Amino acid sequence: MVILREGLCPGLTAEMVCALKTNNIQTVVDLVSSDLEEVVRKSFVSYKMLVAVRRILLAEYSAFPSNGANLYEELKSSTAILSTGNRNLDTLLDSGLYTGEVTEFAGAAGSGKTQVCLSIAVNVSHSLKQHVLYIDSTGGLMASRLFQLVQVKTQEEEEQVEVMQRIEVVQAFDIYKMLDALQDLRCSVSQQVVSPASAVRVLIVDSVCAVIYPLLGGKHMEGMSLMMQLGRELKIMARELNLAVVLTNHMTRNINSGLRPALGRSWSFMPSTRILLEKKEGIQRNSTIGHTATLSKSSRQPTGLSVGLAIGSSGALQESPSFVKESLSQAGAEV
Amino acid sequence: MQRDVGSYPLAPTVKVKLIGAGFLTAQDIAGMKPLELSREAGISKEEALETLQIVRHESLGAKTCFSEAAYVIRKCTALELLEQEQAQGAIITFCSVLDDMLGGGVPLTKITEVCGAPGVGKTQLCIQLAVDVQIPVCFGGIAGEVVYIDTEGSFMIDRVVDIAEACVQHCKLISESHQQDEYKEGIANFSLDSILSRIYYFRCHDYVELLAQVHLLPDFVFQHQEVRLIIIDSIAFPFRHDFDDLSLRTRLLNGLAQQLISLANDHKLAVILTNQMTTRIGQNQSMLVPALGESWGHAATIRLILHWQCQQRFATLYKSPSQKESTVPFHISALGFRDVPASGPHLSSPEFQTNPCKRPRVEEDEQ
Repeated sequence: MVILREGLCPGLTAEMVCALKTNNIQTVVDLVSSDLEEVVRKSFVSYKMLVAVRRILLAEYSAFPSNGANLYEELKSSTAILSTGNRNLDTLLDSGLYTGEVTEFAGAAGSGKTQVCLSIAVNVSHSLKQHVLYIDSTGGLMASRLFQLVQVKTQEEEEQVEVMQRIEVVQAFDIYKMLDALQDLRCSVSQQVVSPASAVRVLIVDSVCAVIYPLLGGKHMEGMSLMMQLGRELKIMARELNLAVVLTNHMTRNINSGLRPALGRSWSFMPSTRILLEKKEGIQRNSTIGHTATLSKSSRQPTGLSVGLAIGSSGALQESPSFVKESLSQAGAEV
Repeated sequence: MQRDVGSYPLAPTVKVKLIGAGFLTAQDIAGMKPLELSREAGISKEEALETLQIVRHESLGAKTCFSEAAYVIRKCTALELLEQEQAQGAIITFCSVLDDMLGGGVPLTKITEVCGAPGVGKTQLCIQLAVDVQIPVCFGGIAGEVVYIDTEGSFMIDRVVDIAEACVQHCKLISESHQQDEYKEGIANFSLDSILSRIYYFRCHDYVELLAQVHLLPDFVFQHQEVRLIIIDSIAFPFRHDFDDLSLRTRLLNGLAQQLISLANDHKLAVILTNQMTTRIGQNQSMLVPALGESWGHAATIRLILHWQCQQRFATLYKSPSQKESTVPFHISALGFRDVPASGPHLSSPEFQTNPCKRPRVEEDEQ
């Protein structure tokens, strides 16, 4: 739906635009879908010119074909797999977060979503030396906790400062602010304000639900359109800027279906990978709290795969393979 | 400027007309004049002007006190955020184990939700915090004012007087034991009257009044820059009845939470909400959970659950972004929130009643 304007393509003159407008043809879509012979009969525009213009417009606005070999080359050259710093989580994600994709963590209150986000941010910033943009919409980000995680990683003060500086934080408490922040990131990359070395590689949004919920419900369709807008924006940015996007989502309880990720079915198409986080009640030994992560949507790994996470003083970064088996067997016993 | 027109905060009717006329991205609009846009898209001149201002990120004039700041994206590194956090302090509760659990007290710039059964001490905690936030800086406080929004009518001014007197007495003892001028100055301005005059009390009878009040809060806080704490006691009461449409309730509640967190961040203040408990009926077992449903659980940054156990009050940190989950005992005396007395006679003899005002607790919760 691009508006027809003089100089949009060679051959599209002001008179032609005027003539088309009198025939109620205002946008490219109108022109492409109109009956040209009819148009020529009604207005005095050269048929040959119209056909030529239509050809150029079609070529300009259609998608480019690409073949699998090129795509594979592109994958090998530009896609990065960023480790989350937790071996269990990496197995679930098929070795880490893929750039160009959207990964979602959904979980109930207190299930460790924010902790997973924080530890991903710290690991990417520390181990991989990449920049992170953290959009906080719930006030859940506490820099003191972030610093705690950094201290576990490194003892040197200079390095700690560097790690903290590579994590950028934007606080956006409504959807328009969030869209503004995304736009800002896009502009800064496209205008090359920052050097490629310090470009953001991971975008964390904690949480999408918090900004969308105030718009949904009741009889408002506006919220739905903004939700899709945000989802589309995140997907496009992930692809164009080669970002790994991490989202968090809430859980809602439905009388019929029990607990499930919020924002409904239409949102469930947005993330390419979805992981459900759960807290295991009643396990509180060795100062670690038992959490499980279950894959519910993925294009790489079998869904239903489940691993244990230990969130202690060092975040979701602790490795405890023995604990996993234990918790799984216990879960089996409880059922 | 490839941003979609739909992603701007425009009125839905304007949006539809713009998109209908073929204006899809900000680029299409940004270069136009208001008259041109109004003619092309069939919207009024005022609407066209407003649209252009929004798209070009110009300030909309002095509509509210904050409109200038509305479009500035506050971006900072985690390091700067850490410095801010360390500088801002917290509100103590006078119960040292509870303070430790919360990481030094109730943090500013966050929403803390206090849940609990009736009579467990939610309102007491609110009143205690309303007094404690005013402790002068020299005594380790943050010397702030407080907005108290009461929806249940449970705010007892005589109780505030009790707690405030105890707090003033406490500070007086400190200033007497330290013969320093700053303490003397601090205590001179810290009295019962000063405490009571710095509590702004609002009584909201239903959810409409509450929503309206929260909408007005940014202006109020802008005029009273000293406000460091907003208390809503309770958030649950007005929202637990009169609602046929539960999705509307979720929408309103979440909107409220976003407004509060935004306010908390803009003005570096703490928000305390209290919530009631409800019974979730499961297939095998039923349990006592905080009210207002699953989605509300995400709204608060920190969730504290107060409960009874063997005639002793306990506070459990259920969720927190920075502190480990744990449970600590606390005690409510005539002077307010305190640590459990060291001797703990009630722990050794279960018959001992900690609070004679309350009826004895039989193990009814376990059923």
